[in-house]
Amino acid sequence: MSNRIGKKPGEWINREATLRFSYEGKDFTAYEGDTISSALWAAGEKVLGRSFKYHRPRGVLSSANHDVNVMLTDGIDTNMRGDVIAVRDGMKLEAVNTIGGVKADRNRFIDSISPLLPVGFYYKAFHTPRRFFPFWENIIRKAAGLGIVNFNFPRVVKRKSNTHCDVLVIGTGPAGLMAALVAADAGLEVTLADENQHAGGSLTYDRAGASEAASKLSELMGRVKTHQNISLHTASYAAGYYTDHLIPIVGENGITKVRAKAVIVATGVFEQPPVFRYNDLPGVMLGSSAQRLIHRYAVKPFHSGIVVTANNHGYRVALDLLQAGVKVSALIDMRALGEASVLAEDVLGKGVVVHKGCCVYEALPSKGQMGVAGAVICTYDEVANQANPSNSFTLECDGIAMSAGWAPAAALLYQAGTQMRYDGTTQQFVPAKLPSGVFAAGKVNGVFSLEQRLQDGARAANEVLRYLGKNALEVSVDRYVGSSPSHAYPIVPHPKAKNFVDFDEDIQLKDFVNAAQEGFDNIELMKRFTTVGMGPSQGKHSNMNAIRILAKIRGLPVEKIGTTTARPFFHPTPIGHLAGRGFHPHRLTPMHAWHEAAGAEFTEVGAWLRAAYYHKPNLSKQEVIQEEALAVRQSVGIIDGGSLGKFEVQGADAAEFLERFYAGKFASQAVGETRYALMLDESGVVVDDGVVSRLAEDVFYITVSTSNAAAVYREMQRWLQIWKLQIGLINVTGAYGLINVTGPNARVVVGKVTKLSLADSDLPCGGIRETEIAGVAVRLVRVGFVSNLAYEIHVPAGNALHVWNALMTAGESHGIRPFGTDAQRLLRLEMGNHLVGHDTDGLTNPYEIGAEWALGMDKPFFVGQRSLKIIAKRPAKKRLVHFMLEAGFSGEMPFECNLVMKQDEIKGRVTSISFSRSVNRVIGFAYVDPADVNPGAKFHIRTDSGSMVEATVVKAPFVQLERGE
Amino acid sequence: MQMISQPTPIAYALKGISPKMGSPNGMDVVMSFSDEVTERKNRQLLGVCDVSCLSRFAIKGPGTAQWLEANKISIPAIANSWKLQKSGALVLRLGNSEFLIEDQPEGKLCAALNVADRKTLTGLYKVERSDVALILSGNQVLSLLSELCTLDLREKALGENALVMTQVAGISATIIRQSLNNEPVYRLWCDGTYGAFMWDTMLEIAVEHGGGAVGFSSHYKL
Repeated sequence: MSNRIGKKPGEWINREATLRFSYEGKDFTAYEGDTISSALWAAGEKVLGRSFKYHRPRGVLSSANHDVNVMLTDGIDTNMRGDVIAVRDGMKLEAVNTIGGVKADRNRFIDSISPLLPVGFYYKAFHTPRRFFPFWENIIRKAAGLGIVNFNFPRVVKRKSNTHCDVLVIGTGPAGLMAALVAADAGLEVTLADENQHAGGSLTYDRAGASEAASKLSELMGRVKTHQNISLHTASYAAGYYTDHLIPIVGENGITKVRAKAVIVATGVFEQPPVFRYNDLPGVMLGSSAQRLIHRYAVKPFHSGIVVTANNHGYRVALDLLQAGVKVSALIDMRALGEASVLAEDVLGKGVVVHKGCCVYEALPSKGQMGVAGAVICTYDEVANQANPSNSFTLECDGIAMSAGWAPAAALLYQAGTQMRYDGTTQQFVPAKLPSGVFAAGKVNGVFSLEQRLQDGARAANEVLRYLGKNALEVSVDRYVGSSPSHAYPIVPHPKAKNFVDFDEDIQLKDFVNAAQEGFDNIELMKRFTTVGMGPSQGKHSNMNAIRILAKIRGLPVEKIGTTTARPFFHPTPIGHLAGRGFHPHRLTPMHAWHEAAGAEFTEVGAWLRAAYYHKPNLSKQEVIQEEALAVRQSVGIIDGGSLGKFEVQGADAAEFLERFYAGKFASQAVGETRYALMLDESGVVVDDGVVSRLAEDVFYITVSTSNAAAVYREMQRWLQIWKLQIGLINVTGAYGLINVTGPNARVVVGKVTKLSLADSDLPCGGIRETEIAGVAVRLVRVGFVSNLAYEIHVPAGNALHVWNALMTAGESHGIRPFGTDAQRLLRLEMGNHLVGHDTDGLTNPYEIGAEWALGMDKPFFVGQRSLKIIAKRPAKKRLVHFMLEAGFSGEMPFECNLVMKQDEIKGRVTSISFSRSVNRVIGFAYVDPADVNPGAKFHIRTDSGSMVEATVVKAPFVQLERGE
Repeated sequence: MQMISQPTPIAYALKGISPKMGSPNGMDVVMSFSDEVTERKNRQLLGVCDVSCLSRFAIKGPGTAQWLEANKISIPAIANSWKLQKSGALVLRLGNSEFLIEDQPEGKLCAALNVADRKTLTGLYKVERSDVALILSGNQVLSLLSELCTLDLREKALGENALVMTQVAGISATIIRQSLNNEPVYRLWCDGTYGAFMWDTMLEIAVEHGGGAVGFSSHYKL
């Protein structure tokens, strides 16, 4: 561990625990608490990854979760961020995005042809000739991307939990810690979150060679850790802001959805790199990154380096480097006047040469661009933003620390709807108008000195107290004095380029100039053309420089350029976290276990799991479906229809409600009678259909289709609110089971388990009786949907299995056979009954499906009636008909949704089609030209391959109806 | 009318295991999943118990409050609250004019209400329900609920007799917090057709937290 230095106060590593791991086939050791990057850097390993596009060698940049060129795989996971992921004992790591290893990456040649590959080249270069596009697309897709997705990644449940608090403080720098303490001392319940492994923010690394920050951190954390009102979450980032202060906090093991009464955003700032040639070499890093290596991991960033700065932070960095034993050859200050504070005196006093009004013109690479060999320094005109290489000189060094300014970590503020303004004093966007209940504190608020940040945290906490109606103090924050924390334009042009603005996507200064020349001179357009900010770091280190560059190109102030849209999530978040536990609620009927034991293949119908068909040995699915249907036609079948929506409408106005809600007539309906009910929306479109049974003068029982049940019930509730009728509306879908026994022997089978006379005269088709079956109370309905001799048995859910078993026993001698939804669809097709939602769509009106008979147009009102009166006056565009294909048809089978054609014009489509063994023909429903609806009319269906199949309109039903008793 | 023993709405979730069963109130429920020590440990850490067999009676309509009071039921004063009767029966006021009443195992209130004369008042609508009813207990119970429900169900947020109708694991459910045998527990009711899903979901989380299923006997001695 050649670069490891002596113990630092508050360091994050545990020197008592040594871990072993390998990187690119070479063994390394680390301390517990080391990140992958810090451990490798400590061992002198500098090339930690390859860049996305040009495959340039890259090392440490930020050590702050933005080092997207240091992505690794352990063979299971991929794109593991080396700068934040802790080393685990036994890890075997490889860099992603390389062929042949990180040092010998065979794709490194791309860097040498980079002039041929400017941004946007793939938008233009590969479209002609068009036949070659798939070839190029294949190559580009393979070349793009970082790690390779492991489709065998183990499923590990990442919990999503909900928590609530008075105030959520995001960020544990001095402002956040102080805000949390003030709020907690006032009795508020505080949740405190920070993305770093340990709390403290910049107090954990920005020390300027002194002990003040460490002492302050120790004092604040001593209070935070013991405060009963504070819940501290570290290694957890606030991923986004949603309405009503809902903020997901993402940790390693899941997501905590925090709902707070108020939010304090104390997220700090991201350090921004100055732009100069070869600012991406391994060994060139942000000043704050060097400080993190020193103070968190006790790692020397380099041995003999320089600091290039454009603010006072570079001086703080220099002092930390010196304290860590780094030889600081020079401090290059891009500002003409340099730094006037005591910091400068300290640096000068320690023998560091300061070059004011100078810049790093270019970093000099070591062999293979694997590190830094030196830096070319020259004067820099701050006003013209021009370097003057004519007076350049070279300094030898093995590292460069860069400090040019900051960008606010304001994504959450933007998402919350904060209006931001550009502050000329700090050269930073700061909040101008915050949404209700959202507060900002610290550097994100444009407040930089330590004392001021502590004041600002206390101010924000008191504003929260005031917002929540509690006693609060007036806390003022001293005005900032001193040089700007950020430089207005820390960009150094170079004729040979490779002065990188965005390290994620290898975007250079010239790329922005080219984009603007091509007309992409709006920040949103420029972002999309150059892809700046679209990489894994989402512009955290590049967007601010991109805005400054565009402002310069267009000759506008930065505030006129604006910022790009900040969307959640704030960091790339693993899919497993988003998936969470993966709830898939399913409703089961009381007979579910029976169906499973009988070999059912289940299908999802809405939230329900229904038996689609029952497997039989040596039979295909289609054969089983035909057999199940044939059993119904020839003897008796039984189906579990418990998923149908079931409602009760009770009360004096029950009939009036149904008269208005459905298109048919119900006021005249006799007790013990059922009627078909067609539901329309206000525009006259068919929404659902069902059966209304009258159990008493003031009690109706309604069944509706499974998948529409929830929507129909909601609509009933809505209309009830509007009409204010005296009814009770009760959803009994789950309270009742439903069994349908159907086929020529249905009457015999049901008759065995009930004392009720099932003769047509006593229970005709369309009748309902409250009776007993197998000794339990049921509602027995004579229906005719899948055959004209069928009984629906509605029974309290708890008794449903008992009744089912009794019917199975009763039907045993008749070969009663359970059938599923697939056979049910075929059976209703054979009967010529359409299915709403299957044979209709979101535009179908009743006239198009031949449902005029179900309309009570002479009623005073029903939903959709007014629209139907208008529609009825217009010529029909299509009609639903029954059709058959020719006997023995053996051509290409048409499918549902195949088009109905007439002389090259689309006239309709097939909505249902199937071979029926009972009919021995292919039968179906189709929309056709209204002129072609008479039986015997021919029309053509265009199959998937384009061939035409002739079909003939026929009358339904397709099967012979059973004769009554 | 034949009295048959009904399966619990969570019956499908119990397949493949052989716990000790019983039929309180004519419904087959699990009396105990394991030995008394384990049941107690689970109940105190994070226990999920199926009490769907408790008798329930539901009614709604504008005359309901008056009718219940006429039948000597002490009703909660406001919607979204509950009240314990002297018999131990729970009266949940789900809305201004909608109530759910649940008996203790030996209670007779629901049976009596079922046959009570409802013709004396208009605007009374009996509601057929088939609930899965659960008791959630133990000192880790909030960890379970925090994964399944977005609401703040802590004692400080959920009033003493407050009732919430919310989504639990994506399912509409009713929740209260009460003291049962001097232990704080949460009660949950939802549509029985979701019973197996709700049970499996809760049990998965409970087991992760070191708890598990507990039988009816863990809370009620018959």
